[in-house]
Amino acid sequence: MIDVKNVTKKYTLTKKQQKELQTNTQSVFAVNNVSFTCTPGKVFSLLGPNGAGKTTLLRMVATILKPTEGTILVNNKSTITNATEVQKSIGFLTGSTNLYDKLTPQETVTYFGKLHGISKSGIQQRTQLLFDQLNIHEFSTKRISQLSTGMKQKVSIARSMIHDPDVVIFDEPTSGLDVITANSIIELIKQCKAAGKTIIFSSHIMSEVDLLCDELAIINHGKIIYNDAMDNFRMQLNGQSLTEAFIDIVKNNTLAHQEI
Amino acid sequence: MQIIVSVLKKELICQLRDKRTLVSMLISILAIPLILFLTFKVQSNFINKENNKQLKVAFVGETPSFLEDKFKSKQFKIQSNLSLVEGLDALHKDSLDAIIETNAKFESVVDAQQTGTINVYHKSESFVTLQKITAQIDALKSQIVSQRLSKLAIDEQLITPIVINPIDLTSNQEKFGKALGGFLPYIFVLTCLLGCLYPSIELITGEKEKGTVETILTTPASRFHILFGKILCIALMGLTLAILSVSGILMGVKFINDIPKEISETLHQILSLKFLIMLFVMLVPLSLFFGSLLTALVVRAKTFKEAQSITTPVNLVVVFPVAMALLPGVELNWNTAFIPILNLSLATKEIIAGTIELPYYFAIVFSLILLALATLYYSYKQYTKESMVL
Repeated sequence: MIDVKNVTKKYTLTKKQQKELQTNTQSVFAVNNVSFTCTPGKVFSLLGPNGAGKTTLLRMVATILKPTEGTILVNNKSTITNATEVQKSIGFLTGSTNLYDKLTPQETVTYFGKLHGISKSGIQQRTQLLFDQLNIHEFSTKRISQLSTGMKQKVSIARSMIHDPDVVIFDEPTSGLDVITANSIIELIKQCKAAGKTIIFSSHIMSEVDLLCDELAIINHGKIIYNDAMDNFRMQLNGQSLTEAFIDIVKNNTLAHQEI
Repeated sequence: MQIIVSVLKKELICQLRDKRTLVSMLISILAIPLILFLTFKVQSNFINKENNKQLKVAFVGETPSFLEDKFKSKQFKIQSNLSLVEGLDALHKDSLDAIIETNAKFESVVDAQQTGTINVYHKSESFVTLQKITAQIDALKSQIVSQRLSKLAIDEQLITPIVINPIDLTSNQEKFGKALGGFLPYIFVLTCLLGCLYPSIELITGEKEKGTVETILTTPASRFHILFGKILCIALMGLTLAILSVSGILMGVKFINDIPKEISETLHQILSLKFLIMLFVMLVPLSLFFGSLLTALVVRAKTFKEAQSITTPVNLVVVFPVAMALLPGVELNWNTAFIPILNLSLATKEIIAGTIELPYYFAIVFSLILLALATLYYSYKQYTKESMVL
């Protein structure tokens, strides 16, 4: 379970950044007073245009960044005061594979298993299971640099799931992937959901959101502008497609933001 | 501890699978012996050539036979019947090595027991020409002086009241130690720094650039353990390169025949196990210091290129204290013992010369350890800043 309460992330701008952004503002809000709850066995989708604050928010949930204000509880443990315990229960998967080119899939997964403090036999068991599920065995001893993007993404998944996390964060996991690899990730999310894990999923692809999502939040300019069950969102469509409805909500919010 | 070892092991695997790292290691082993070999080979060839060269000498003016006779040997080829103008032209065109000119009254002046003048025209680019000619003329001069004293019935001892007999107690180790001790830190300090440079950029900035840092920060491993594992790998690469460069010198000394025997024997004495252990003990904290310092710097960079420009001034800053150790009057004392890198350079000189005082040595090692720990702490503070890591 993830409980985000009044979370804000504020960045102080350096003079160089002020010049680049052509602003006199001393600070910017990447995330501004955001609250939501993700429950186990459900997929919580976070939608928003580029620069809306999705990745910052997900990074805060994953303990990579600390909120300026507010609290984030993962399985009732604070990401600030109990970060190590939170990290033990979190898996973080992004669209960019972020792997070490000179290691093999086997070495990569073993390395992350050790970073998670898993025993040698535990790593072996989990690796075997994940490599079976993801069909990694045939290229498990090749260097990452020699693998295709699809193969890399499979390794990336295995690395994120080596410690069998209760909470899985997917930050645009299918961006830049071919249909077959993207589908394998969709299947993984479904499996995680079926296993009762808590899932946050951010994406630009509305068909994926439609397929997977139970709860939906739309973020724009660092604020949550829509948060409801996916079924309720569908009921409010009035003949519009999901994409059209999403664009309308974001556009209206952007106009209101500009007026302010 | 297990995390530190895992990070270190993984980083070492990545480094050793990197062709650039392996090439730089190979260069470190081979470059120094190769440079030594080429230097001594070229130098000995040049000296032999100059020493065995037959000098073409022309006599201009009314040259007395006793002077010309002194040059009738295999060492000289006398060119006769040249005017001064023709001789100078030949000298400029390098078809002549020297012109010996005496004036018309030279012989009579010398016979009259006065001082005659000989002009020697030469080009100073050859360091042996004037030396060889002067030697012949000096021999003649001594002969004339003896004759004059004999005519006057004066014993030569009368005009030689004192003979200086210098007895140099400096051992070859001390003599070469000061020279080699100044040169050696250039090699291992700079190779240690260079050895740390590329891995630090690859392990810290490279992780940011590739986005892999995000993945390790979501694990329960503490940032200090991750950072320390990385710095250990960086320091180990620097230490290895420094050791390889010193090994390169050892190999050079052992296998290059052109090194003069006196120097070669002294170098064997200097590069003893004691010296290597004492050097190793200083190099460990030095490499840890370089690893931590470079980490603290490159963690600010977002790209490889940016990291390279941030670290460029470090080379200059490090060379300065090494060069200072070569200045006359800069000696190891309780002040210089606490100036980083300068203390190591001065200590190396003293160790090689066999004159190191142990209290200074331990103070230097202690100060280097403190410096390495302080820099490690600083780099940890930098590494834990969100803005620096992402």
